[in-house]
Amino acid sequence: MVKKKVAKVLAFRYKILALIFIILAGGLVLLPKYKKHEGIKPETLLSNVINPERYISTDNLAHKIISKDPSILLIDVRDEKSYANYTIPNALNIPLNKLLDEENEMYLDQDQYDLVFFSNDNFSADQAWILCNRLDYTNIKVLKGGINEWFSTIINPAIPSENMAALEFELYNFRKSASMYFGVMYPEQIKVAKKPEAKPVAAPKKVITIEKKKKAPAEGGC
Amino acid sequence: MGPLIPNGIIPAEWDSIIALLIGLVFGFVLEASGFSSSRKLAGVFYGYDFAVLKVFFTAALVSLIGLYYMDYLGYVDITQMYVHPTYLWGAIIGGAIMGVGFVAGGFCPGTSLCAVAIGKVDAIVYVVGIMIGVLIFSELFSFFQPLYEGSFMGNITLVDSFDINPYWFIFIFTVLAIGIFALSDKIRASVKKVFY
Repeated sequence: MVKKKVAKVLAFRYKILALIFIILAGGLVLLPKYKKHEGIKPETLLSNVINPERYISTDNLAHKIISKDPSILLIDVRDEKSYANYTIPNALNIPLNKLLDEENEMYLDQDQYDLVFFSNDNFSADQAWILCNRLDYTNIKVLKGGINEWFSTIINPAIPSENMAALEFELYNFRKSASMYFGVMYPEQIKVAKKPEAKPVAAPKKVITIEKKKKAPAEGGC
Repeated sequence: MGPLIPNGIIPAEWDSIIALLIGLVFGFVLEASGFSSSRKLAGVFYGYDFAVLKVFFTAALVSLIGLYYMDYLGYVDITQMYVHPTYLWGAIIGGAIMGVGFVAGGFCPGTSLCAVAIGKVDAIVYVVGIMIGVLIFSELFSFFQPLYEGSFMGNITLVDSFDINPYWFIFIFTVLAIGIFALSDKIRASVKKVFY
């Protein structure tokens, strides 16, 4: 008799377990599905935003361009008119409102080149950076200060005053040579070019004996 | 061990310790449910004891439902899970050989180690047989290599290759599994008992 009771209890237990399974599986089917985040988590994005390592200074960028570093790709995120007006040499133009287009994805979503975003100041470039970072694109840097900083440091470097450290003078020399590379002409260059033209070719010196004409004494009268 | 370690709740060095503890508990439960007896294990094939079937299906269902619930809540990411690579013909033929070994020996490799722990002689012979099989495989590997590495279909799941909704699949699987359990109970009640 005890065995029969045990058997009945056990059977009931299995029914309960089966019911629990079906309820759980049914819940999985019936729960509303929401779209998951594409890309990285919000906490990661926040920590990336605070991290200043994404900035690249203008000196660094000038050095890379001059030494023809093949691993960087410059991207101008301003609109097309500003791009046609002036841009850093060898830069692509992807305007900010076209950043997420299909055709630009192949420039952004790759890990062979380091991308450097720049714009007039680093605000638009930072916006572009946040969008791309959210989508988990790697190797993206932002030019600190943008084109404004480029002008005031590379194209038009400030002459250091006499009481600054020697490093400042070295930096100024580097910036000046960088600006010459990018096409800026300095007055000293023009003078140096003209000097050799002004010097005529010196004719070989001939020894000319000058016979001094003896001046006849003035004869008085005729 | 997800979801604890990938989410950083406990440090990553606990991995091996947790694995050891889980293995300990697993062996204990196997032995306590009587899975060290070869007659109980071979009962699935002869049709008088369906414990193995129930264990396998229950394990698959519990882990599947648990994983999908944790994925829904965001603790684990289903897309980042490791999926075993699929070598189609290797799996089929290997599975058939393993099935023959299971019925002939009455153990699968895990339960044989359980039975060795309690000192059964046929489990010891089974483990020696496993070693001989490994030796044959490694010596004749050049013959088995096309089977071993051929028909590689990638790390795919049923959801990927048949394009079915995973949630409906889980529900139907659950209903089927419960039906099979009830059926096996009926069969067991009407079959002559075997002493083990």
